[in-house]
Amino acid sequence: MRSFLIRCYPARWRARYGDEFEAILDERAIGPFDVMDILLGALDAQLRLRGRGADVTQGRGFSMSLRIGGVAAILGAALFATSIVLGIGIVWEVDPVVPGILLVSGSLALLLALAGLSAFQARSHPVLSWNAFAVTAIGVILGIVGIVGLQLGAEEYWMAFIFGILGAFVGSTLFAIATYRTAALSRGAALLLGVCSVLTIAAGQGGNILGPVPMVVTSIGFALGWFVLGVQAIRLDRPAAFARPT
Amino acid sequence: MEQKTPEFGRFAEPSLLILVSLSDGPKHGYAIMQDVEAGTGRPMGAGTLYAALARLEEQGLIEPLPPVDRRRPYRLTAVGASNLAEQLRGLSAFAQMGLRQLGKTQS
Repeated sequence: MRSFLIRCYPARWRARYGDEFEAILDERAIGPFDVMDILLGALDAQLRLRGRGADVTQGRGFSMSLRIGGVAAILGAALFATSIVLGIGIVWEVDPVVPGILLVSGSLALLLALAGLSAFQARSHPVLSWNAFAVTAIGVILGIVGIVGLQLGAEEYWMAFIFGILGAFVGSTLFAIATYRTAALSRGAALLLGVCSVLTIAAGQGGNILGPVPMVVTSIGFALGWFVLGVQAIRLDRPAAFARPT
Repeated sequence: MEQKTPEFGRFAEPSLLILVSLSDGPKHGYAIMQDVEAGTGRPMGAGTLYAALARLEEQGLIEPLPPVDRRRPYRLTAVGASNLAEQLRGLSAFAQMGLRQLGKTQS
């Protein structure tokens, strides 16, 4: 992974900074946040060294990944909440493919959010952070395969779709545990996210007995958890706060 | 050399955080990252750090020292120190103006 990340930088850059950069990567646990940050840095170096005068990283301010993660968390939360409400059919009837596409898009947004918001968690809980990212990523792939398969009329792809969405909830649970343990962001929001992720899975299993209401409630809680974490990440990235937040 | 105009929006720039970190002596990249994280409570990724370090070096605000093992320390140049002082004075004046205005509003 480390050598792949370094190879993303242009050869001229590697000749100058490669050794010391590699030494830094050897000294700390790398999480999804770091991968995103390094890939953005590599893109910046590629563009700058080609003389295009790009200012990708510095010009947009500190820790762009955190901001991207925050926006993605809010977007993912909105997509999930909308899709669950539409999918349950308690508001109005829609083509079933619409909530399906929203769910997969929401999972993709949450994957981006996971990468952007896991900077602190990956330091102390790298395995948990990477598992959260991997499970969600596999879920996104299964979700896309499932929704495409269903659109092509292959009903057996339904399970791929379901497991894909399940991946987003399991990944969110792992991320919530890492966030709660690290106290990097709001522990209350992390607790809400973790509990509602588990309860949504349970409500999905018992949907035939319990009816749609518990699932709607837990899904809204799940979305609210992500929403609060996203808003907090964006606030954390504001330039005004120089002192360590208490 | 381009002199940055001190302004509020620059406060969070990684380059300023790096210059502040180097103001008490030379440091290598990992030490700068730890310093920034301890001071701001926010992580600075290695990609962001090196994008900013490369620019600061190009602008002559910092200079590399001979590497120790694979770690290469950086230190402020005289121009860098002057630039940092100018930015911090600007921020300080801006902060004082804000506090004065806030005081008037609250009284």
